[in-house]
Amino acid sequence: MSTPQLVEHFFRREYGRLVATLCRRVGVHHIEVVEDAVQSALMAALESWTVAGLPDSPSAWLFRVAHNNVVGELRQRSRRRRILEQYAAEDIDTPENDPRVFQAEEVQDDLLRMLFVCCDEAIPMESQLVLALKTLCGFDIREIALRLFTSEASVYKRLSRTRSRLRELPPRLRALTGEQYSSRLLAVNKILYLLFTEGYLSSHAEMAIRRELCNEAIRLASILAEHPVGRTPETFALLALMHLHAARMTARQDRSGGLLLLEEQDRERWDRQQIHVGLDWLAKSAQGDVFSRYHAEAGIAAEHCLAPSFEETRWDKVAECYASLEQIAPSALHKLNRAVAVAEWQGPAAGLAVLEGFEPPTWLAGSYLWAAVLADLHRRCGNAPTARRHRDAAFQTAPTAAVKELLRRRLGKVDSTQCHERAI
Amino acid sequence: MPKYLCMQRNLSGGGSEKPSPTQMQEMYSRFGAWREKFKDNLVDMGGKLGAGRLVTVEPATDGPFVEIKELVGGYMIVSAKSLEEAITVARECPGLVRPGSGVEVIEIHAP
Repeated sequence: MSTPQLVEHFFRREYGRLVATLCRRVGVHHIEVVEDAVQSALMAALESWTVAGLPDSPSAWLFRVAHNNVVGELRQRSRRRRILEQYAAEDIDTPENDPRVFQAEEVQDDLLRMLFVCCDEAIPMESQLVLALKTLCGFDIREIALRLFTSEASVYKRLSRTRSRLRELPPRLRALTGEQYSSRLLAVNKILYLLFTEGYLSSHAEMAIRRELCNEAIRLASILAEHPVGRTPETFALLALMHLHAARMTARQDRSGGLLLLEEQDRERWDRQQIHVGLDWLAKSAQGDVFSRYHAEAGIAAEHCLAPSFEETRWDKVAECYASLEQIAPSALHKLNRAVAVAEWQGPAAGLAVLEGFEPPTWLAGSYLWAAVLADLHRRCGNAPTARRHRDAAFQTAPTAAVKELLRRRLGKVDSTQCHERAI
Repeated sequence: MPKYLCMQRNLSGGGSEKPSPTQMQEMYSRFGAWREKFKDNLVDMGGKLGAGRLVTVEPATDGPFVEIKELVGGYMIVSAKSLEEAITVARECPGLVRPGSGVEVIEIHAP
């Protein structure tokens, strides 16, 4: 007898689902009890299923075991007795909360609710991200540290601070009001955007790991966009930009894992199906009078996806989107990208003119992106000594070997055109 | 073919690190691959062992024997041509032989 296959990421998905559902039922202040209970239930499943085979409904099996673990643990905590009794009176006896009755349709609701809980204004952004990765995506501390390029100690610290914040919350997760849902939507979008860019822009060597973060972001954003609380043009635009970027992700790397410039990419390798999905969401996002940063970014990504070749890209439209982006979300990086797009559209001198008199903030002035763009634009304008100076600075600050190699190709070339790495 | 009793024993010095869901998924598929590979050897997958009691002519006692469940986590029965082959089956079983866990392989003499 062979062991039946489980779907990809089954354990991680179940982890997120169970934590979200149980937190709703017993209150998010019991999140530690819930997480331990879920961990034990998954272990029990691993031990039992590998020997006895899969039960009829693995999800219901897990839910029953995890639910019993939680109730057992809470019962043992005598000082929590009163809360438990309250919980028991309100919840346990009602038919819809019978652990034997597992309702698949409430899962999406629970995952979303948990996402909104993670985005508590009192929790710093990085901690929100860590909490979402832990509770909704089912990564452990070591895996989160690896994905966010940080130390396990720092992830651990963030998690425990966040949990103590959650312990102070009102006992019932369902206490999140409609008002809180709408006021936190911006933060929820932002956290999904961060999750996606962690995967997309990270200089992490392993493509699989980066891809996985992008997929998690797309999965959660899809649940959000399909749900009444998230059915807004902004969320649609966010989902559009994720799909439009992800569609080109594989083509951004050569076979040895090195980065490829937009103009070097084989457009045949772009995922047409995913571009199509992205454009659908972009079309849906064009309603109402809100034009968010996600609209601008999705617009830029769409221009690239729709251009038959690098040369035929509608650089005027790209430059225009960057200008909007600069207005909505002022950032020196957006100005830099606009300069690059303008250089493609009206020539390198016009690109330099965008940056004229602009004092970059220190984080950008010290980064390879700034130096590389200046080196490229000056070289194309024929200012060799200035170009060389910026090129040396770019080489020195390049964070990874892959980026260094890309700069060598880009800035070493005589008649090359642009450096658009951040935007592609 | 002779049969062998494999008893998983909990040893000291095991890592207390819990596997993450991602690792559990890997363990699940590795276990599946192992079962497939040795499907002809695996007679009885056995299971985990719970509490027990030693029954003797003396009055029943929990005695020190209850500790047996601390030591033996589970058992299974494999058939193999030799002790060495049985050991190979047990050794390759994911999660069985690792820091904090070992397996005792004992031949069962057929009458």
